[in-house]
Amino acid sequence: MNILKQLLSGSNTAHTAKQRLRFVLIHDRAEIPPGLLELIKDDVIAAISARVPIDRDGVVVQFEQQNSESRVLVDVPLLALNGERKGAKRRP
Amino acid sequence: MESVVITITSGKGGVGKTTCAANIGSALGMLGKRVVLIDGDIGLRNLDIVMGLENRIVYDAVDFIEGRCRLKQALIRDKRAPELYLMPTAQTRDKSAINADQMVRLCDEMRGDFDYIIIDSPAGIEQGFHTCLAPANRCLVVTNPEVSSVRDADRVIGLIEAAEKGPAQLVINRIVAARVKRQEMLSTDDITEVLSTEIIGVVPEDENILIASNRGHPIVMNGKSPAALAFQDIARRITGEDIPLQPLRASGSILQRLFGRA
Ligand SMILES: Nc1ncnc2c1ncn2[C@@H]1O[C@H](COP(=O)(O)OP(=O)(O)O)[C@@H](O)[C@H]1O
Ligand SMILES: [Mg+2]
Repeated sequence: MNILKQLLSGSNTAHTAKQRLRFVLIHDRAEIPPGLLELIKDDVIAAISARVPIDRDGVVVQFEQQNSESRVLVDVPLLALNGERKGAKRRP
Repeated sequence: MESVVITITSGKGGVGKTTCAANIGSALGMLGKRVVLIDGDIGLRNLDIVMGLENRIVYDAVDFIEGRCRLKQALIRDKRAPELYLMPTAQTRDKSAINADQMVRLCDEMRGDFDYIIIDSPAGIEQGFHTCLAPANRCLVVTNPEVSSVRDADRVIGLIEAAEKGPAQLVINRIVAARVKRQEMLSTDDITEVLSTEIIGVVPEDENILIASNRGHPIVMNGKSPAALAFQDIARRITGEDIPLQPLRASGSILQRLFGRA
């Protein structure tokens, strides 16, 4: 029954486990708790929206680690004055 | 040959450190190597009962370190292999009863007399872990194919590297081929990828392990069950033999396999 249920729902919890582990390990290794990124995101939204209109819901703040370099990636979609997203830039 | 000190650790408790220490040590002993197993889990000793040697303890590692007995008196000979010994630890003391320097000295006393000194660590990353890590030439990290133990393994691998005892090697324990196949359990590849650490062995979930513990006969000592074969392979890889990782042998009856209930 299990197998059938899974074929039907297409659930692959091993994959989910792997994705969640990847995420949590990036933060564990860098000693940057995921909640800190939320705080940074709030700061970024406050700072940039004070100057230009932005799509607040579209803001992405990500931590990335490659070899020995770590960086915070910030993606802030701008809004045109009419409230539409500017340009055709897609978020990753 | 100079002894190789192998510390078996994991971070998380209950993943199979003691089972691995008993079986890998026994397998090395059965290959004719001179082996001593040190129980590093002070206050919660278990290696003695898993090995079936609990009735023979008179002195332990703490007695030796504190000068109450000679080294030989604290070593229990296991006659099921040519040169296999257990050094039990104290049951009524705590993790601070042996510090890192003392553990290094204990191993130094035995270097030269053994090919392999295998230390079974306590759970956790506190003092007891560092004590067991201090004399290590080589570290095996045991993990289960499950998020919390993999996460803890990552932490421990980091600590092993920071202590310049790396690179650690992974033992993935309790894998169930049928569940990996159904994609509801992390696979060997998933875990290697996430941890970027070399795997020294994959041990399947095997109900014979419980029976082996009940009896005090490590599973490698009798039989050809899937876990026994996996432990024998790990032992031979430790000695330097090049044995490729075997594809998972599904255990259980054909019906169980069909329905994925291993
Ligand atoms: N491959 C396995 N298959 C089935 N049971 C296992 C396996 N490995 C360990 N166990 C069981 O899991 C429990 C915990 O193992 P143990 O070696 O005591 O872990 P730890 O020393 O890491 O706390 C024990 O009951 C043991 O019999
Ligand atoms: Mg244990």
